[in-house]
Amino acid sequence: MFKKNGLLARFRLFNPLMLMSMLCLIFIGILYIYSSCSVREDADLQQLYLRHAWAAVLGLLLYFTVAFINYKKILKWSWFIYAVVLILLILVPFIGDSQMGAKRWLFGIQPSEPAKLGVVMILAWVYSQRNVQRGMGLFFLTVLLVGIPGFLILLQPDLGTAMVLVPTVFMMLFASNVAPKLLWGSTLAGLMVAGLIMGTVYFTETVTMPKERKESLIRMTCLRDHQIKRLQVFMFPDKDLHGSGYNRRQSEIAVGSGGAWGKGYLKGEHYMLGYLPPSVSSNDFIFAVLAEEAGFAGTVIVLLLFLFMTWTGLWVAFRCRDDGGRILCVGVVTVMFSHIFINIAMTIGLMPITGLPLPFISYGRTFMLTMMVGLGLVQSVSMYGREEETRFS
Amino acid sequence: MESYDGQKLTDSWRIALIALLFGLALLYLAHALYTVQVVQSSAFSSDQARQSIRRVQVPGARGRILDRKGVCLAENRASYCIAFYVEELRKRGKWLNTINAVNENVDKLASVLGIPRELSYTSISNHVIKSLPMPLIAWKDVDAVTLARWAERAEQFPGVDIYVQPERYYPEKSLAFHLLGYVRRDRPPQSRPGEKSHFYLPEMYGREGLEGKYNAWLTGQLGEQLIRVDARGYKYNVWDGEPAVPGRDLQLTLDASLQRVLEKTLSEKRGAGVVIDPRNGEILAMASAPTFNPNEFIPMIRDGLWKRLTEDDEYPLLNRAIQGRYAPGSIFKPVTAFAAFSQTNFNPNAIHHCTGTFELGTMRLRCWDTYGHQDIALRRAIEQSCNSYFCNLGYQTGPAALISQAKTLGFGQKTGIDLPGESSGLLPDSEWKVERLGEKWRPGDTCQMAIGQGLLLATPLQMAVLAATIANGGKVYKPHLVKKDNPPEPLRSMNWSEEALTVIKGGMRDVVLQGTGRRVQLCGTQVSGKTGTAEIDIKGVRHKNTWFLAYAPSDAPTVALVILVEDGESGGKTVAPLARQVLVSIFGESTNEPPTHVEALSETGGD
Repeated sequence: MFKKNGLLARFRLFNPLMLMSMLCLIFIGILYIYSSCSVREDADLQQLYLRHAWAAVLGLLLYFTVAFINYKKILKWSWFIYAVVLILLILVPFIGDSQMGAKRWLFGIQPSEPAKLGVVMILAWVYSQRNVQRGMGLFFLTVLLVGIPGFLILLQPDLGTAMVLVPTVFMMLFASNVAPKLLWGSTLAGLMVAGLIMGTVYFTETVTMPKERKESLIRMTCLRDHQIKRLQVFMFPDKDLHGSGYNRRQSEIAVGSGGAWGKGYLKGEHYMLGYLPPSVSSNDFIFAVLAEEAGFAGTVIVLLLFLFMTWTGLWVAFRCRDDGGRILCVGVVTVMFSHIFINIAMTIGLMPITGLPLPFISYGRTFMLTMMVGLGLVQSVSMYGREEETRFS
Repeated sequence: MESYDGQKLTDSWRIALIALLFGLALLYLAHALYTVQVVQSSAFSSDQARQSIRRVQVPGARGRILDRKGVCLAENRASYCIAFYVEELRKRGKWLNTINAVNENVDKLASVLGIPRELSYTSISNHVIKSLPMPLIAWKDVDAVTLARWAERAEQFPGVDIYVQPERYYPEKSLAFHLLGYVRRDRPPQSRPGEKSHFYLPEMYGREGLEGKYNAWLTGQLGEQLIRVDARGYKYNVWDGEPAVPGRDLQLTLDASLQRVLEKTLSEKRGAGVVIDPRNGEILAMASAPTFNPNEFIPMIRDGLWKRLTEDDEYPLLNRAIQGRYAPGSIFKPVTAFAAFSQTNFNPNAIHHCTGTFELGTMRLRCWDTYGHQDIALRRAIEQSCNSYFCNLGYQTGPAALISQAKTLGFGQKTGIDLPGESSGLLPDSEWKVERLGEKWRPGDTCQMAIGQGLLLATPLQMAVLAATIANGGKVYKPHLVKKDNPPEPLRSMNWSEEALTVIKGGMRDVVLQGTGRRVQLCGTQVSGKTGTAEIDIKGVRHKNTWFLAYAPSDAPTVALVILVEDGESGGKTVAPLARQVLVSIFGESTNEPPTHVEALSETGGD
């Protein structure tokens, strides 16, 4: 009926459910960005939801464009994309714009967002090379490929984004079974370092000691002041209610006061009253707004949509008969999932506050476009990753 | 499993495991959300009332100021305010809507409470712009009746609450006003690093006096709390932010009862008085008249009052004891005498013949005794305060020795007392005169200075330091008001001979026994002193500044004092009785009347 390798045959393999759930989430995002920005004074800021919507339209164009290009062709160019992203990241400290104490912006975009995708793509491309040995050499190459952009992002400083790279790379290494002993060994070491840092912070807070010793211990962790503060707030929520603890406490109340059914759309109070700082309510803390107005019912729906997206993405990987496609899907899905998990967990106080957006719902155009291109790639894997089936069916 | 082109494929079980892991993680989040939103939800929201977080400042009480015996001179009292928490009245849309809503509420509340509105529309909008998270105080210092009225209707007014603010309070009213200074409410200068200034209400800042000088010591540190409240103002729980740290108390060397006596003696007059402990420089009392009740400055100075005070001819805000510059007159004469002793060829027993005037070239100086003191030596010249003798003595001694003696005693420099705004007086010398007046230093200037007249100006405090230095035999202490932990070391020691001290102190004892200062005599305590009457021209009108300098007991002084009265009659007549009242309050006496033999003495006690 269809021409075997034709566009229509491909279209049959297009995964509509993934697109639908993404559109649902974007729609929810627009609704709640509207809700959170409608109380803003600045007329410009009241239009945030429109900017989000237009970014979504542009994102859909990119999404379909990427989806209908064979991802294998794109992967062949991944070194180029990686290089471009790296150059942008290098340029940021020199000609970038600062916002809220961090230099992350370049020509209106945050290069650290496409960098996540760049890393995923180049790893997928390297791993899927013919005859590549999945041993120590590849492991260290991976560390190098992730380490360079990761370090540049850390310098901005953007700990959250840099942290997302860790589970992403772990999952990709795990999926392609690269140097398993080394992987588990370094994972163990990483957990120990994290434990040591947390332990140090905990120790310095609970045990009385001279100020100098406390400072020298804190300095040994190599973290910045505000990062230390977030860790302290995480472990001792009531420590600094007016500074770092403020956002956390407020978002917890916003989420909690939503109850089972929520207060109703546009009827939330905490963010409206200004308790949730307006500067964070439409991006990193949008989930608090949603949880307050839509209640547990709403948050569960959003969680289900995210679960659905995660699983369909992995299902595409499962069905794919090409290593590059599989690893690419695992990478993209892990990036998305890390954002989801970290953002929600920090909103309800299960994790230290790290400025990470919630995919598709948080306001943040660079990140949304990045995520949509990433899912476009997954869609492309869905359509072009089953050569075998189409050949022998 | 292999890929279509024969490569070994990534294990499918690994992908399935990842999917399972992600699913479990989301399940964990769902469980956590269930706990917060369903199980604990009632803790975060009640059915009938919306919740809000209120930011409350816990003031760190400002330290008290106590006198040497622990009598409280400055403390805090609670002032009840009615405050709006504007964030809780937030309306959707523009802030203007919220400002209007608050504005209406203020009107409504004013009519309910039956008190006139004090808050202007502009101050509401200013508050919204500048210090939104802080309570907006609508009425200050409301009385119990109003508070009760508010309590009855509190439920009708969400976002309104009582706010307790500490106010400075001076229980002794105007006592020691010039020393204590006052406080004003002000925004913190530049808020502490890393904190936003709009989180803080204006705090009390010391202005002038000890409140100003020791502001950092007295100031407490603000604490903060976040309180969860519902519409009825019910407070659910409190998260302690920073605890408040109270300020430290300030212990003074001042004796409140002595201060009261000193101020009473100066009431209805213009003048100043300083009582100092010659053994260590502790100020026991320091007064300036006229004075003013600092409580009227709190919480803020009303415009009219400030204008009245600053334009008052009598300058009630001026602390004359440290800021007033006066010609010391005859109480400076001991300095001239000590300067003379520093010269090797000086003989205290040499006789000078006083004819009632002293002539030097074209200059003529009158002695207060028109008929002259006739033949007179140093000790009796002090007793009789003979101008002629001292003019001659100054002339013989020369300006260099005189000025250097005065300089070492602290004239022309600040004493370094722990009060702001001290004047250094004026100790002129030839360079100063050439530079400022364009005239040469003449022998007449030396004579003038020798009797404490002419260009020389001193503050009453400087004279008190002089009194203390003579009393203790030559040790210059830094005068101070705040009690020190360790006995202070003298700043300098004067190089005075035993002979000089015997003659001059003897002369000063004679002043009280039989000289110009007889009115200060006490039963049971020997007093030494020196009278002074400085004549000055102010816009062509002759004024007399009358002084008395004293210390007691004469042989081992524990108190030195100086009192100045502007426009008095003479040191002996006007000021000595005042000094006596002060000394009586210290040393006591069976009767307040001066000994009868003083009355028997004629009224000749001049100068």
